[in-house]
Amino acid sequence: MNQNQAERLQAERKKTENEFDITQYEHVPRRYYGRIFFATLIVIALAGLARAFANGQIEWGYIGQFLTSEAILWGLVNTIVMSILAMILGVVIGVITAIMRMSANPILRYVAITYTWLFRGTPLILQLLLWFNLALIFPVIGVPGVFQLDTVSLMTPFVAALLGLSINQGAYTAEVVRAGLLSVDTGQYEAAKSIGMPRLQALRRVILPQAMRVIIPPVGNEFISMVKMTSLASVIQYSELLHNAQNIYYANARVMELLIVAGIWYLAVVTVLSFGQSRLELRFARGAGKRS
Amino acid sequence: MRSIVKAVGLNKYYDQFHALKDVSIEVEQGEVLCIIGPSGSGKSTLLRCVNQLEKIDKGGLWVDGELVGYRVVGNKLHELTDAQVARQRLSTGMVFQRFNLFPHMTALQNVIEGPIQVLKRSPKEANEEAIELLARVGLADKRHSYPVELSGGQQQRVAIARALAMRPKLMLFDEPTSALDPELVGEVLSVMRDLAHSGMTMIVVTHELGFAREVSNRMVFMDGGQIVEAGSPEDILISPQNPRTQSFISAVRT
Repeated sequence: MNQNQAERLQAERKKTENEFDITQYEHVPRRYYGRIFFATLIVIALAGLARAFANGQIEWGYIGQFLTSEAILWGLVNTIVMSILAMILGVVIGVITAIMRMSANPILRYVAITYTWLFRGTPLILQLLLWFNLALIFPVIGVPGVFQLDTVSLMTPFVAALLGLSINQGAYTAEVVRAGLLSVDTGQYEAAKSIGMPRLQALRRVILPQAMRVIIPPVGNEFISMVKMTSLASVIQYSELLHNAQNIYYANARVMELLIVAGIWYLAVVTVLSFGQSRLELRFARGAGKRS
Repeated sequence: MRSIVKAVGLNKYYDQFHALKDVSIEVEQGEVLCIIGPSGSGKSTLLRCVNQLEKIDKGGLWVDGELVGYRVVGNKLHELTDAQVARQRLSTGMVFQRFNLFPHMTALQNVIEGPIQVLKRSPKEANEEAIELLARVGLADKRHSYPVELSGGQQQRVAIARALAMRPKLMLFDEPTSALDPELVGEVLSVMRDLAHSGMTMIVVTHELGFAREVSNRMVFMDGGQIVEAGSPEDILISPQNPRTQSFISAVRT
């Protein structure tokens, strides 16, 4: 190899090296034209919607006036009370059903399965009407010879709504609770037993706190559904938010204004609930690692 | 010497599978017994029977002089209630292959859970003793850590402290180092070694033959649900008589 050749080779190598040295170059992000186009389209559509509402025949004054009227506020209280009571009762029924469903006794298991099937398989509004009209088939209820009650006076709209909503809720919650219990590793039951815990104590101290992590998000979801499902109780004359709003618009014909009033209150309650749910989730996330 | 564990003709079935076949064994107070054998040989099942995590189908098992799981009425055995079984379990502590610490509790809370909730001891007393136990396994500074923040070896040491907090008469170890990274095995074995030297009665299911040889008074080789051979560590590890034992030892050694 002569000198000339060696020099040429070296020059070539240098050139190649420069070609790979891009550490100083500036990075230019890619532009997503499609996204920009659709975002613009949506902004235009929203502006149109806002304009329509502004020019629509809505008496905004009525909304402000009825938002805090007595009938609406009472309806709101009744909605909240019914949601909470029906949810508590629903969770109790759900936990019992979930434990029955996991029992070794076939009768307990099949009763739980049938209950879930029946109440998940029929519309809630139908169940509410059935409870409310129970007097049509059972004029009196009770234990023969012990006590008897007049069904019509017992099945008030409140009682019928509470039974209908909670029993329906229990069927859904049962599955959520069962999933939560199944999510806890069997090693946890064994560890609890190995330090001498009887079954119930193990469930309360070790299993349920861990199952709660899995149970809370869907139950929170169902609580939010419950708040809105109480509006179905308006068909059996329970005096909740929507029912009272309807009563007012039957009298003054401001249908849309009162529906918006009810909508604002439902949104407010659900917002508060969502906030409470995330607080609760944080509490039960202790020791659960970095997953959020 | 008083025997802490006495098993006579134990049999256990999982559906059709005969997991324990007429197993009889005795463990004396202060003794360290290591059980070795291939997987599926029934060694873990035997251990779990002692702690009533498995139900015995036939035969009898006495722990600390008390018949386990049953009450003799005439010539019948009546199953004990959940609460009675829980009380019987208090005489044994168990350490699991996969640690099974309570993930929603800190190391300290794991250790005090049993003493406070089950033994109804005062929180102050339980706390003090738990901190001592955690110091004994070398984890006093980790007491406020959750299991997820601890290494496998640290978790297993907390699990040992949790079991010891119940002041058991007998400690059961079910492959305590099998789920650990190799570099973490030593710290757990060292805690177990100290425990053995302190005079604790222990039954250890393990694959750590070196450890078994060092700490155990007696070794048992199980295969196919039976005790194939029992004897001193030297008998089993160096001059095994049964061909099945011989082939297992040589397979593990290589």
